[in-house]
Amino acid sequence: MRSDDSYRALFLSHPQPMWLYDRTTSAIIDVNDAALAHFGVRREAFLETYTGNLSAGPGANGRTFEIVSQPCEFDGRAAVLVALHEVTALRQAEGALARVEDEQRRQTTEFEERVRERTVQLQAAISELEAFSYSVSHDLRAPLRSIAGFSQALIEDAGPSLSADARDDIARIIAAAGRMDHLINDLLTLSMVTRAEMTRDSVDVSELANRIVAELADMSPTRPVVTTVAPGMVAHGDPRLVRVALENLLTNAWKFTSRRERACIEVGQMDSDGASPIFFVRDNGVGFDPAFADKLFGPFQRLHDASDFPGSGIGLATVRRIVLRHGGRVWAESRPGQGASFFFTLQ
Amino acid sequence: MYQILLVEDNADDVELALRAFRKSDLVNTVTIARDGVEALDYLLATGSRADRADNPLPDLVLLDIKLPRIDGLQVLERLRANPRTKLVPIVVLTSSIEPKDLLTCYTLGANSYVRKPIDFQQFSKALQQIGSYWLQTNQAPPLPGTT
Repeated sequence: MRSDDSYRALFLSHPQPMWLYDRTTSAIIDVNDAALAHFGVRREAFLETYTGNLSAGPGANGRTFEIVSQPCEFDGRAAVLVALHEVTALRQAEGALARVEDEQRRQTTEFEERVRERTVQLQAAISELEAFSYSVSHDLRAPLRSIAGFSQALIEDAGPSLSADARDDIARIIAAAGRMDHLINDLLTLSMVTRAEMTRDSVDVSELANRIVAELADMSPTRPVVTTVAPGMVAHGDPRLVRVALENLLTNAWKFTSRRERACIEVGQMDSDGASPIFFVRDNGVGFDPAFADKLFGPFQRLHDASDFPGSGIGLATVRRIVLRHGGRVWAESRPGQGASFFFTLQ
Repeated sequence: MYQILLVEDNADDVELALRAFRKSDLVNTVTIARDGVEALDYLLATGSRADRADNPLPDLVLLDIKLPRIDGLQVLERLRANPRTKLVPIVVLTSSIEPKDLLTCYTLGANSYVRKPIDFQQFSKALQQIGSYWLQTNQAPPLPGTT
């Protein structure tokens, strides 16, 4: 057993500020050095002027303390042992956390505000685009109809008195109006593809491809084209948009095989190891220089002479937009004269 | 003898349409309304055409969408809301293929929607087909004042 003096020495030298007071009278019974240092008073003054229910008070250098009171018996008296716990680090951490939370709230508010602003701007841009494409659809086509219509009327009304050259000139005017009509239609499709709401559904790619191929065959019944469509291909996408994409790819294949005696077009699906299926449209047509493979999908990009293969240069840009809207990829492989393969995913 | 009301503000399109009708073997009287107000006044016998109250309605209305003053969609809506004209055959004849226009026209009760082709021969063919179907093949609803 140690003497009481030894225990008192432990109390007095304990680094944690502590004091003991009478629970009935609140008079201080004893106080340790750390507590005196904390309050900055001498022992006598503390014992005389302080009572037990002190508040912790601020520590030096911004340190923070919390009071922990423990009722106890001391020399047969009801007493309370009080200890000050330093919680500076805890409070600092709490403060830092609160500041982080404040900052997060501020950033969230700012972010939401920015999203709102952008949404408004975006909506304005979309309505502008809608107004534009409406205008393209309606107002740009009207004069075109006049040009084509009255040129035709001219041939009908004055045909016999016109020279063969003059009639040929008028035929060129009519043909040009027709080409511009195609261009406008293709631009409208591109704009529709961008704006249209997307609803994903299960799409029977095989059936779709067969139907498009049949439509193409109807339009040029004299062309023998061998088409192979793999059975059972299914995609998960917007049926209307998938149709537009496949239509463009197959129309291209049809067009660029027009010089082949034995034109072959294949629609299939590649093994993709459980990832989203890779569909392809392959032809044995004129192909293209692989150096330009990345240019192929930009709007108004044409790799062939318009007189050889007429087109607006918008078809593959449309395919690309459709694929991107589905979160998929599209790419092409070819060598000049060796046909072309177009691959796409729709995930 | 069939009566057609052509609601069209573009003078060239009016001329081309009349030309196409002249070539068709259907004998028609084509009345022209140059904007939505004229069309509504003519059909509902209001405003400047209040004198028409007892006159028969046309057998077919060809309606452009983009029109001055009151546009074609509003004309369509008001005609369908009026007991006198709610059943009159209306074919929307327009340049637009905006899916929104198609949807609105059918929702508002258009009988048919035809996009004007650029090529005049196709345009003539379209008008002849519209005329022959709506005036000859189709059985018109019994309308007040139909002959």
